[in-house]
Amino acid sequence: MSARGSLSDKATTAAFYALAIAVSLAFLYPYWWMCLGMFRSAREVLGNPLRPWPESFDLTVFGEIARVGGVDFWRYAFNSFAITGASTALGVAVTAAGAYALARRPDLPGFRWLRAGFLVTIMYPYMLLVIPVYIVVFKLGLLGSYAGIVLFLALGPIQFFLFDQFFRTLPKEVTEAAIVDGASEAQILFRIVMPMAKPITATVALITFLINWSQWFPILVISRSPDTFTLPVALLAMNGELGSNFRGIMALAFVTTLPVAVLFVLAQRRVMEGMAAGAVKG
Amino acid sequence: MTAAAAPATGFAALELAWRHRIFYAFVLPFAALTLVFGIWPILLSIQVSFTQSATALGADPTYVGFANYATVLADPLFVASLGRTLWYTALAVVANLAFALAAATVIDSPRLKRGSMFFRLALFLPVVTPDVAGYVVWRWLYDRSFGAINAAADLLGLPPFGGLSSIDTVTTAVLIAELWHHAGFYMTIFLANLAMRDRALEEAAAIDGATKWQVWRHVILPQLRPAIVINTVYATVQFLKTFTVVVVMTKGGPADRTNFVSYYAYQLFDQGRYGEATAMATLLFAIVIVLSLGALKATQGREIR
Repeated sequence: MSARGSLSDKATTAAFYALAIAVSLAFLYPYWWMCLGMFRSAREVLGNPLRPWPESFDLTVFGEIARVGGVDFWRYAFNSFAITGASTALGVAVTAAGAYALARRPDLPGFRWLRAGFLVTIMYPYMLLVIPVYIVVFKLGLLGSYAGIVLFLALGPIQFFLFDQFFRTLPKEVTEAAIVDGASEAQILFRIVMPMAKPITATVALITFLINWSQWFPILVISRSPDTFTLPVALLAMNGELGSNFRGIMALAFVTTLPVAVLFVLAQRRVMEGMAAGAVKG
Repeated sequence: MTAAAAPATGFAALELAWRHRIFYAFVLPFAALTLVFGIWPILLSIQVSFTQSATALGADPTYVGFANYATVLADPLFVASLGRTLWYTALAVVANLAFALAAATVIDSPRLKRGSMFFRLALFLPVVTPDVAGYVVWRWLYDRSFGAINAAADLLGLPPFGGLSSIDTVTTAVLIAELWHHAGFYMTIFLANLAMRDRALEEAAAIDGATKWQVWRHVILPQLRPAIVINTVYATVQFLKTFTVVVVMTKGGPADRTNFVSYYAYQLFDQGRYGEATAMATLLFAIVIVLSLGALKATQGREIR
């Protein structure tokens, strides 16, 4: 009886493993297929789409994507890092200070309205918000500029919720003791609270970077020419215009994915826990 | 109550004002960005929805009341698009949550002593993968002559999968690609909730002779209510706004089968029909708010039996 029980128990465990492995491999397969696609010509793929290994490690594709849409590949790569980096730095600084003030003194006039207003903006269909943003950016004279893109990408809900949650759960004694010691509010924020918030700041910066790296629609809308396109936007343009250059598209998709994939694998726990926490509080 | 409520002498009031000023200084950049890139565009969008498209972006727009809303609601393409969007959202929310819950349950199971981190990574990697890159790859995977999916179906002796080119399969194809991109996020929320549950209850139920299924259904699942609420609201908002996957993979086709509201509104905007496009945006905004609040209410309401 117990022998049969343990046998069926083992079978169940094996089934769980089989299921988990099968689903994981299915989720990872598109990445493998993308990597293979960089090295395989259209004819080779057509002949055998499932071949698990490329015919040859032919790197000519990187010559093919050296220029996309009349702009150097390196320009897109630079834009991706510059726009993502700048919007992350700005977003973290602005959100930290804003969320701190809103969490510390929700009683101040206008603060409740600001919080509510922010919550409403994240409910608005993003791709449709971008369209009036085009008009706003146009009125500000920032169309086609890096500044317009960076400013638009700076704020995001998960970033706000993570900081908000941290500052709200900060023990009151911390600030009260500092006030007794005669510290100014600026000193409290910059010398006491922000050093304590270092781990959450790192998490927010990481998540903002990952999210903003993937952005494409606001960048496409605010840009006036491919000169301010990032890698995902260049990839989208290539997907539409040169639909048949399969190998080039796979190579560009690979390059677009690689930096965030590496960053994610290096900081997996922080990313997953941070995103879950940001969502749970939202 | 702090100093704010206490009767303030001249000096204290001055000090209080100074303290307030610094909090306003802290919040100023955040408030400015929220107003300029959030509130202002929304108000502008709502304003444009009441104007005639041809004059909408000019200095002196002609206001037409609810005419754009009337046009939009009388447009059979929009009504069909809205119906499809709601249907797709319902399907996608159920499919994503069911898949994410099943995946979280398997990964959280004590049976998987090793490798659970690998499974988590595999399912979460698509979440941080740029959506354009992911969907571009899926678009080619679905290709009838080129893609791996039909080649695999052929190998297994299955009938060919129409993928993105058939009106019967395109919704499923889009749904699978979106599930690949989003489900890992919902799974992570379930896993976080599972980690916080009270395990003593399960032991007690097991001692009382409950089967594993009964334990899962009546002890574990009720404790996952917070994650179910959050995921339902997030997924509802997410899939109502489905856009990128359509731009990359289908352009709304074939035969408008994936022409969801946000894509349809964008097409109108592209044609300069600003009034109608923003009227659609406002309607979708209202639906997002109503449905997400509804989902919040409905999923929380069930708590009291």
